[in-house]
Amino acid sequence: MSEDKLKTDEKPLKPTESSGWSALKALAEGFATTAKHLARKPITESYPEVKRQLPERSRARIVLTHDPDGRERCVACYLCSAVCPVSCISMQSAEQPNGRRYARWFRINFGRCIYCGLCEEACPTSAIQLTPDFENIQRDILTLVFEKKDLLVEGCGKDPSYNYYEHAGVTTDQRGKGEHASETPPVNVKSNLP
Amino acid sequence: MPKLTIDNREIQVPTGTKVIEAAERLGIMIPRFCFHPALGSVGACRVCAVAFTEGPVKGIQMSCMIDVQDGMVVSTTDAEAVDFRRHVIEWLMLHHPHDCPVCDEGGHCLLQDLTVAGNHGIRRYRGLKRTHNNQDLGPLVQHEMNRCIQCYRCSRFYQEFTGYRDLGVMGIGSRVYFGRSVSGVLESPFSGNLTDICPTGVYTDKPSRYFGRRWDYQRHPSLCLHCSLGCNLTASARYRRVVRHEARPNLEVNGHFLCDRGRYGYAYASAADRPRQAMAAGTPGTIADILTGAQEAIQRTVEQYGPGSVAVATSSRSSLETLALLKQACEQHGWTGPATTQTDRQALNQRTAVNCLRPELAVSLAADTEAHDVLVIGADPLNEAPMLALSLRQVQRSGGHVTVIDPRGVRLPFDFDHWAVHPSAMGAIVQALIQEIAGDGTAASTEFDVTRLARQLNASPRPSVICGTDILTSREIALAGDLAQALCRTHRVAGLFYVLTGANAFAAALTQSERVSMETVLDRIENGSVRLLVAVEQDLWREFPDRKRLQKALKRLDHLVLLDYVNSPLNHEVSYFIPTQPIYESGGHWINQEGRLQGASAVMAGGDTIEVTGGLDHPPRVFESHIPGSEQLAAWRALAALTEDHAKTVKAIQEETLRSALADFHPAVDTTSAQPTGQRIDLNAVSHAGVESTEGPVPVVNEASSDTVLLLLVDWTFGTETLSAMSPTLEKVEASPVAHMHPDTIASFGLAEGKPVTISVDARQLTVPVQADPRMAPGVMVIPRHHLLEWQIFGETRVIVKRSQLNADGV
Repeated sequence: MSEDKLKTDEKPLKPTESSGWSALKALAEGFATTAKHLARKPITESYPEVKRQLPERSRARIVLTHDPDGRERCVACYLCSAVCPVSCISMQSAEQPNGRRYARWFRINFGRCIYCGLCEEACPTSAIQLTPDFENIQRDILTLVFEKKDLLVEGCGKDPSYNYYEHAGVTTDQRGKGEHASETPPVNVKSNLP
Repeated sequence: MPKLTIDNREIQVPTGTKVIEAAERLGIMIPRFCFHPALGSVGACRVCAVAFTEGPVKGIQMSCMIDVQDGMVVSTTDAEAVDFRRHVIEWLMLHHPHDCPVCDEGGHCLLQDLTVAGNHGIRRYRGLKRTHNNQDLGPLVQHEMNRCIQCYRCSRFYQEFTGYRDLGVMGIGSRVYFGRSVSGVLESPFSGNLTDICPTGVYTDKPSRYFGRRWDYQRHPSLCLHCSLGCNLTASARYRRVVRHEARPNLEVNGHFLCDRGRYGYAYASAADRPRQAMAAGTPGTIADILTGAQEAIQRTVEQYGPGSVAVATSSRSSLETLALLKQACEQHGWTGPATTQTDRQALNQRTAVNCLRPELAVSLAADTEAHDVLVIGADPLNEAPMLALSLRQVQRSGGHVTVIDPRGVRLPFDFDHWAVHPSAMGAIVQALIQEIAGDGTAASTEFDVTRLARQLNASPRPSVICGTDILTSREIALAGDLAQALCRTHRVAGLFYVLTGANAFAAALTQSERVSMETVLDRIENGSVRLLVAVEQDLWREFPDRKRLQKALKRLDHLVLLDYVNSPLNHEVSYFIPTQPIYESGGHWINQEGRLQGASAVMAGGDTIEVTGGLDHPPRVFESHIPGSEQLAAWRALAALTEDHAKTVKAIQEETLRSALADFHPAVDTTSAQPTGQRIDLNAVSHAGVESTEGPVPVVNEASSDTVLLLLVDWTFGTETLSAMSPTLEKVEASPVAHMHPDTIASFGLAEGKPVTISVDARQLTVPVQADPRMAPGVMVIPRHHLLEWQIFGETRVIVKRSQLNADGV
């Protein structure tokens, strides 16, 4: 390797740039900025004292909502637990005597939840919804494991009208065969009319 | 062999293959709903459309309906074909309800998959949907007719494949309906297969209804233990509970199906009363302490009375691993046994069948369907091994003929010849057949046309002999072997198929070094030469045919060591109880009745189910590093720990012991080269010596006389086999126990049909209602070994009952 190749292209500093003058200028500019902000109103809010109203669709604590007629919406279809990337949702599905499928138990481990909202997107009945309530902090990690009774809330949440069993097509005490949305009455198989 | 091109790849397939199957061989799965390899083509769903671009057929055609021909060029990705299939999916979905979230098929639904694959995400149809009423089809299958796409798989399976008529298709046009004429329990013992073959959610599994989605289950290949056929299945478990069995296709054994006994018999593995706690004389202890206690007891007994005073008993539901370790332990330590059957007759039967099964004669269950003429001797297929009845149905469907020689009123879902022969006369008939077939027949004139049957078997392109081992004696079993050999001389292919008793009966027969049964062990306990009994996965309480004698004898023992996974009243009385793992937790190998060695994987880790630990409501809110109630060991591990000092805690030593035991087990059995579909063991290496001579006239056994009746205690499809009888689901479909007799026999003994009869043996009584069955042989009484009956009073499962022992109730 030749010696000139090792040489760098560094230029020597100009006398003006390395002078004390430029240092003083920078110092003054810094103080000026600080001084300007000292007089200005702060743009931050003091969080625990001031609580801002978060947008309705911000994603925090998960709840289970009710139908417009006040019954549990969740049919325990396992789609939320399947889509959950951290596997924090678990449940057991069962059938009620009236034909409705429901969650016998439903558990969300908020110690694990990353509030991604995929469960809400997957939910076919609008049962599981994320709320803006992000202040879900506990000292004991076990208290972050929410059971169904901790998750259920009054009302329909963000979806005020959807009632899954009006559309489902399966017989429950709510609707019989042929009584759901856009259904004709059950066919008579013993008829040979065209 | 025609050659065709599918998606630019050439393939040569046998004549008669459909294009859809040829594509499958290339790994191209053409969408299908109605096509099923076992049911064939019907062309109902139109979703397998492909484009034929060149060759003898042109245009868009259904690939399941076209036989391959030379020079065909097929494109599955042709734009027109893809568009056609997309439209088919859309119209199949027109009336489909909006119920996937509450449908159990969701997650493994073929319709769901193809709807997504066909890119049909948004419903364009705005009209009204056609609906159907559902039926209650009994406790096994849930019906939801709205989801139907009219593929006809269910009615083709139910009527054509299994031969039952109570479920079929009704209605016309868009009103086509699949179900029964009226709601009611499905009659077929194969009805559970509807849940497997339905491509959507019309038929779903009722016992596991809503329990979980396919993706949540732990699913592993397993085996059915409820008869000797060794059908392959996939077991699913969730939250430490076995929830479902599905048929696992094995074209050498069960094809694509399972019977309902195998499908719903799993409840014992997660039963709430399953013993999970090791106990010494009823006091719970850690499994290590109990093992040490049992080991010391064995040592003390051996020191005091010699090694022969320790006896070992096991049953034919134990895995090959367990049997191998037991055999090794008995050989090394000089213990008595292992006894693998209850009675001497059963031991001899098992042994004779295995020894008579020569490799050139043995046929698999699948090969049986290809037989042309089948002779069934002393077996009741539907009750003893239900899947065999399905095989025989296929024989009849393909133009073959089935003849059954059996004293019971055998019922099969198709037309067959039934010779209701008294058991004591069966040997003579089989012998006459052999002579007729060999051509030196001097057919004794009986009511049965032996000559015609012999001629029919002789003229058959492919005859097969099926022989039971439950109600017969070893002589008839050996004669059945001789009959198959006689046919073999005149045919290139003749089959011999024994139905054994118990999932691993074949391996159990190879385990017997001498003919030791529980009966012999009890003899030795009674004369004081056996002081300690180790019973491994052997439910003596339910299966030994003389309960009083058993209880008395067990009381004479110094120690009784019991290893099992089912609840039994004996568990609390024994000196040492060690809980073991069922097949779902231990896995293992089993040898089915044709000598096929098959493996099962462990499906789940054992432990108390969530119902137990969480008090039914929800899982417990405590976190532990171990699973509660999971201290059981696989039986072979417990045995290794019992027999080897160092093997108590070190798993590697247990495994080393197992390896050596399996290597020494039998020269015919090679577990190291096990294949996924199972392979037949080397039947040549099975000793064919020790088979009783069948020469000479049949000895006259005084079983048939006007003053006695021959009582047979038999197997039923549901309710008799130990493990499946514990299933609460099957309890709902099982028939209540009755004594079947020929109407003439009922009359001659002064009994009345429909009234109870009381049979007395040594001051013990069994009362059971009498039912007439004109299809039975006279002079025979048939009672099921039903779990609701205390039949364990006779000492044998084939006994002569005198007139004086029979009492019409109230007399």
